[in-house]
Amino acid sequence: MSTVAEPSVEFEALPISTGRALRRAFGEAPALRKGLGVTLLLAVLGTIGQLVVPIVVQQVIDRDLLAEQGPELRSVVGKGALALGLLVLTALVTRTAIVRLNTNTAGGLKELRVKLFGHLHRLSIMHVQAERRGALVSRVTNDITTIQEFMEWGGIGMLIGISQISLALMVMFVYQWQLALLVTIAIFTYVGMLLTFQRLLQKAHDRVREKVADSLSVMSETITGLPVIRAHGVEETAIARVETALQNQVMAEHKANRLSALLFSSAELFAASITAAVIAVGVVVGAARGTSAGTLLAFLFLVNLMIEPIQTLVETIDQAQRAAAGVRRVLRVLDAPIDIADPVDGVDLPLGPLGVRLDRVTFRYPGGPDVLANVSVEIPVGRRVAVVGQTGSGKTTFAKLLTRLLDPAEGVVSIQGIPLRNVKFSSLRTRVAFVPQEGFLFNTTIADNVRYGRPGAGERELKTAFLELGLDGWLERLPDGLDTVVGERGSNLSAGERQLVALVRSWIAAPDLLVLDEATSAVDPALEVSLRRAIERLTAGRTSITIAHRLSTAEAAEEVLVFDHGGLVERGTHQELLAQGGVYSRLYADWNRATRPAAR
Amino acid sequence: MTTRQPPASPFEVLRRGLRLIGRFVKWRPRPFIRAVAGAAMFASAIILSALVVGRITDRLIIPVLDGGEPIQNRVWPAVAAILGVALWKATGIVMRRFGASWLQQNTQADVRMRLIRHQLDLKLGWISRRSTGDLLAVTDSDASQAIWILGPLPYGTGVSLLLVGTVVLIFALDPWLGLLTLVSAAAIVAVEVAGSWATFAQFERIQELRSEVSDVAHESFDGALTVKALGREDFETERFRRSAETLRDRLVQVGKRFAFYRMIADSIPLVATVLLLVAGTARIIAGALTPGDMVSVAYLFSLSAVPVRLVGYVIWEMASSLAGWERVDEVLSVDEKVSYGDVRAMTSGEGAELDGLEVAFSYGGALPVLRGVHIDADPGTTLAVVGPTGAGKTTLMLLLARLWDPESGSITLDGRDLRTFARSELSDEVAYVPQHAFLFDDTVRGNITLGVDMDDAEVEEAARVAGAHEFIVQLPDGYETRIGERGTTLSGGQQQRLALARALVRQPRLLLLDDATSAVDPSIEAAILRRLTTAELPATVVLVAYRRASIMLADQVVYVEEGRVIAQGTHEELMESTPGYARLLRAYEEDSLRRTA
Repeated sequence: MSTVAEPSVEFEALPISTGRALRRAFGEAPALRKGLGVTLLLAVLGTIGQLVVPIVVQQVIDRDLLAEQGPELRSVVGKGALALGLLVLTALVTRTAIVRLNTNTAGGLKELRVKLFGHLHRLSIMHVQAERRGALVSRVTNDITTIQEFMEWGGIGMLIGISQISLALMVMFVYQWQLALLVTIAIFTYVGMLLTFQRLLQKAHDRVREKVADSLSVMSETITGLPVIRAHGVEETAIARVETALQNQVMAEHKANRLSALLFSSAELFAASITAAVIAVGVVVGAARGTSAGTLLAFLFLVNLMIEPIQTLVETIDQAQRAAAGVRRVLRVLDAPIDIADPVDGVDLPLGPLGVRLDRVTFRYPGGPDVLANVSVEIPVGRRVAVVGQTGSGKTTFAKLLTRLLDPAEGVVSIQGIPLRNVKFSSLRTRVAFVPQEGFLFNTTIADNVRYGRPGAGERELKTAFLELGLDGWLERLPDGLDTVVGERGSNLSAGERQLVALVRSWIAAPDLLVLDEATSAVDPALEVSLRRAIERLTAGRTSITIAHRLSTAEAAEEVLVFDHGGLVERGTHQELLAQGGVYSRLYADWNRATRPAAR
Repeated sequence: MTTRQPPASPFEVLRRGLRLIGRFVKWRPRPFIRAVAGAAMFASAIILSALVVGRITDRLIIPVLDGGEPIQNRVWPAVAAILGVALWKATGIVMRRFGASWLQQNTQADVRMRLIRHQLDLKLGWISRRSTGDLLAVTDSDASQAIWILGPLPYGTGVSLLLVGTVVLIFALDPWLGLLTLVSAAAIVAVEVAGSWATFAQFERIQELRSEVSDVAHESFDGALTVKALGREDFETERFRRSAETLRDRLVQVGKRFAFYRMIADSIPLVATVLLLVAGTARIIAGALTPGDMVSVAYLFSLSAVPVRLVGYVIWEMASSLAGWERVDEVLSVDEKVSYGDVRAMTSGEGAELDGLEVAFSYGGALPVLRGVHIDADPGTTLAVVGPTGAGKTTLMLLLARLWDPESGSITLDGRDLRTFARSELSDEVAYVPQHAFLFDDTVRGNITLGVDMDDAEVEEAARVAGAHEFIVQLPDGYETRIGERGTTLSGGQQQRLALARALVRQPRLLLLDDATSAVDPSIEAAILRRLTTAELPATVVLVAYRRASIMLADQVVYVEEGRVIAQGTHEELMESTPGYARLLRAYEEDSLRRTA
């Protein structure tokens, strides 16, 4: 890949409010929203079960234990049976709500994940900016997982917690509004206080994440760089670096944990204060207003229902913010426009061999300098062309423009007179093949990798392809022939062998125009012969354009295009260009200096 | 490699989990004791608060609100009791959480340090059999998973105390209610344990499915150019959809199961409280209990419901920690360590004499990579190692740097076997530069010194010889420029020159270059190599080279083919005597513009 300035599309979070982000997410993945109203209603109904105990306490105490006529077991048993029935019912309702929420979340996030994946593959950033791919993978993995985990744990907890608090307050108001008002005011004050501290906690957590990333990167370097560390005998320095990073992490984590422990325990003091206040006020005021003992006791039980949701509130908010950040990053990706799109009313390329024409074509990345400027060239049907030039001369960009992996900023690229922007992708991708420098293989069999060029190709066709390219001998030497598994990114094969498979893959696609970016890696001389022969057979009878890194390729071509500093500066045969004494002849001389015996 | 069986039952999890915890606690007993003391305070506070509420019911609420008695000064003691108990409880929580956090965080750092130290001692033979990503996962996520149990552990201890205390207290109040409590406590624990047990394995499977989804995404995005060039975006999306759907189905299925257990576990305390109120009334009618006692018991139930539910969580975390620890322990118990002797480095300013005798080597006992290799270099001379791909050149260099040890035969430096050097001593005499430079996320200077104290002049001089000084001074902060993930990115050739400077600054007596300048422009490479071979640097140099010009700089050339030394001599001699060598050199010559283009 060239080192020219490339687009820096930052995939950060979309700066919109959490509410809007959520609405957008619901829009992108409708399964998330499906039946959400019913689910919420069920969740609220389910929490009624939590109110059963306080109410039974009040009823039994006021109506039975402290009744004028004294307690009667039968009436208590009756209330108990009713309560048990209600508990079973609400438990079932809660379960239904949780299952519905889980199912919809899993389904909706799957939709979102797949949509995101498909969208990413349509962006040119995917093949232009290799170093950003890692970050993009985490859009479809970590970000979605964070959202999922929030929905499964924090989200459900928050939902049930809020409805538990609201219902408890409602019951309180029914029992005794003055006391209920007291509790409500206390709760709002406390939650307000918590939210202030929550910001502190969030800062502490941000710091933790930073330190965790630091220590991860230091550990990763130490393990990856182990041979270097050993070769230079710097084990102790390396250990000291890891130790410092880990210590920093310990301190940051501990600080955040301390803060959260203090907040957590403050909820206990808060609950106790409310309980004490309810008892004091309830007894003093209640005696005058006729509050019953059972009512006051019910209040104590109702207050207990509020502790847990409030205690976990701070942590849930933290979780929610992370999930929301994930949602925003996901949306930002979905908002990135598809820069090179399949035309709506596209046409098919005409049958038969294809020729290419560039008319005053200029390419630059948005906001960057020209990578290729004002290039016009016509490559007639059936010609075998080599493209040469130094790193950064624009020759790789030229190849990508021919295959519409990039679109020009100005000018037109056309094949057989049809501008590429009007050609249907389905036609373009089957008729025009691009063979990248590195033969990328998927972790499956050789057969499946070749079939990638033409889905549904039979075994006989595959074998013919190897035979036609003179690679049948190589295939036979593999342990399982076509069924040999190539390993992760083809790691069971050498770089040259991967290239061979990539060539067969292009051959089986039977393109009419072939654009080939020659490999630069050093290849075994024996394999070199196979590669060259395969390329010759692949290009025979086709229009072919090869980005040449080997002198022999340029020598063998019918025409050589020479690129320099983003422009097409020379064209002609090898001999003609040498005779001209221009850029090409200088390249040739440089090469000679580097490979011929040097004077000592 | 012996992998232990996964635990067969929750009891086994408990047994093994306690053993693991015992090991961690032995490392740092004090925060553990603090945390458990805090948990005990927490448990006692819950029981106390129930007793206080019962007493307040009997002495204050019922007499005043029902009996119409005057309040007198009964309110303040009640308020004080409630707040006092809450303070006691809050203190317990803080102590528990501080202790648990300190224990957890430090133990995590301890485990990771052990892993790092251990890996730095292990032979590359072992390391290379595991992927670095895998080893990093053990050091990072498995270590963190292994110690995670230390967080909920003190809480679990507190809850156990609470359970016992609750049962004992209620038995003391009334045996019938005690029995009811015992039965429901046992039921909760049983359901929680059974539920965690039933869903734990499923969650592990979900983790696997998650990484499958991530593998598909990684592979597909890495091959984005191929995908696009062949117009297979839809095919890839379909492939991704399939694995995302498998994950979704499993999530839904496990979610259902989990919700079922959760429903039962959540209902038990509520059902038990209702039963208790009914039974309590019967006991009150029988005159065995006061209403206040009954309120105490019900209140205790309502306070314990949440903590007791987390018993299952502890078992779960234990199972998960054990799984993490298995993977950590597997690495820690490997004893393929590099052995060292006690020879100290000589730091005279002269090149070393290198001799390799009958050296043989294979990776993991497969096909031999090197057989009967003889190699020798006189002090201060340059030796080029030449041969086709796969001939064993890189392996030979790794052996000369003692990153691997030969299976048989010996390699000596001035007659001293490499294996007899003390740890970190050999590197004072030998410096090795691989083809793929590895740079740390550090400054340029830090990458050259690798944290060793050195003069600026020394560093600059090394960078000059390596042909790096010129580009370094043009970086934004010169030698202090940060490189790596969060800094400037360097080109391949620049990275290689930094790695070379790193080797040179150590003034080695033997310098090993494994195609270490392959990405450097040929004319610059020639200049670097020329500087290296002149008298400025007295080191003996062994280099693997692919360019004719580089090979020509060597005093001697060794030609290797299929793991054997075919010939050693000057370039001219080999051109005459060795047809394979002559053919290969012609192939290099044919080989192209690729270095310039």
